[in-house]
Amino acid sequence: MDDEVIICRCEEVTKGEILKAIEQGAKTITGIKIRTRAGMGLCQGRTCGRLIARLLAERTAQVLEEIPPATVRPPVRATKMENLVTSHGE
Amino acid sequence: MVNKADAVVIGGGVIGNSIAYYLAKYGVDTLLIERKDLAAGTSGACDGFIFLQSKKPGFDLRLALESTRLYENLADELSYDIEYRKCGGMILIETEEQLKAIIELVDGQRKTGLDVKLMRIPQELEPILSGHIIGATHSPLDAQVNPFKVVLGFAQGAKRKGAQILTHMEVQAIRTRTVRGELKVDSVITERGEIKTNTVINAAGVHAPVIAKMVGLDLPIIPRRGQVLVTEPLPDLVTSLLVDAEYITLKLAPDHRGTDGLGLGFTLEQTASGNLLIGSTREFVGYDRRTTYHGIKAITQNVLRIAPALKEVNIIRSFAGLRPYTPDGLPILGKLRGVEGFIVAAGHEGDGIALAPITGKLIAELVVKGKPSISLDEFGLERFK
Repeated sequence: MDDEVIICRCEEVTKGEILKAIEQGAKTITGIKIRTRAGMGLCQGRTCGRLIARLLAERTAQVLEEIPPATVRPPVRATKMENLVTSHGE
Repeated sequence: MVNKADAVVIGGGVIGNSIAYYLAKYGVDTLLIERKDLAAGTSGACDGFIFLQSKKPGFDLRLALESTRLYENLADELSYDIEYRKCGGMILIETEEQLKAIIELVDGQRKTGLDVKLMRIPQELEPILSGHIIGATHSPLDAQVNPFKVVLGFAQGAKRKGAQILTHMEVQAIRTRTVRGELKVDSVITERGEIKTNTVINAAGVHAPVIAKMVGLDLPIIPRRGQVLVTEPLPDLVTSLLVDAEYITLKLAPDHRGTDGLGLGFTLEQTASGNLLIGSTREFVGYDRRTTYHGIKAITQNVLRIAPALKEVNIIRSFAGLRPYTPDGLPILGKLRGVEGFIVAAGHEGDGIALAPITGKLIAELVVKGKPSISLDEFGLERFK
């Protein structure tokens, strides 16, 4: 995979930028996120999360299955504010 | 791994990294230890406000003003884009009663040297504001930054000046020795070995009491959760930092919990990436960093009262950070009596980002010169006894 390949489409973060973040000490998906914005866009890392986990596993000698996913916080998908105030329950 | 350092900073948030940077700048052989990752705690779960108007007139505001001056040149100094923008800020006034209280606050702040004025039609500057808002304060000095980038910028700057930063490493104990009947810091024990040092700086934020306990001292810092909402990126919509009067009440009376226990105060900024960050709550729920349905709904109701036009804007995420609360809302800064070489810089609650540069500079001066250029007497732990 070329370094110019875009891994996070929402925030247009390339593979090269993610590898640089790993070099700078990121060991988790959240660590990549704070250094590159990968996973901070509209889809909240749903697309790029697995790709980033794979890069982390390759470069930091971690087992892929043991890399925790990024923290999930509501809303589950983008939600208009007017719908957040009229919805009911958890 | 190194086995000695002139100073060991514990905590890889904005305060610890700022201290490490200024220490390294003074030529101190500095080691920073972080249990998780840089900005993994409070500094990675907050907004980017450098809001002067919420500071108590007097030494609190004076410290914030000095910090702002340092921020103005920080990006150049660190060669790192921290997304600093002197955007100005407003306290929104919705009732005549609030107006009276705010006029008094503004008077006090002017006397401490803050450039702030009252606006009768804030909608002229921020058209998004609801028509029911009868006025606002405005200070051109309020500014914003990207907190992640401030942390990473300080860390990079510290490393360039020779500091070492070790992440994903936990401090297990702090050893002391007795010299002429007095306890002195001797070393820091980590899972990867012992580091000899004469100076330990506890910048562990909400975890600072755990570190202080290692030398037998108690710190009155407890976590206070702040929930924040993130919108989709939008074209330029809001220039100023916005807060409501309730937010100021919460800031100036640290024990005030709001009517529903959420401690809800309105804050809004548009970041360099275009997202709106909308806050926030102040809740005592231990170390729970989840966001709640109740909190998200309350914050949304609040913002739609202030800016109803946002109703069609999408929320893409919520997050929560734990602010290091102290009983009087001010940080604990300086040497601790009883253990020589043990310094605390924690408990900034919601002001960690705003006060980071001045905290780092003054603590570094305290280490290097024994006396900081601005007195930290008012911020001593002794004030709680």
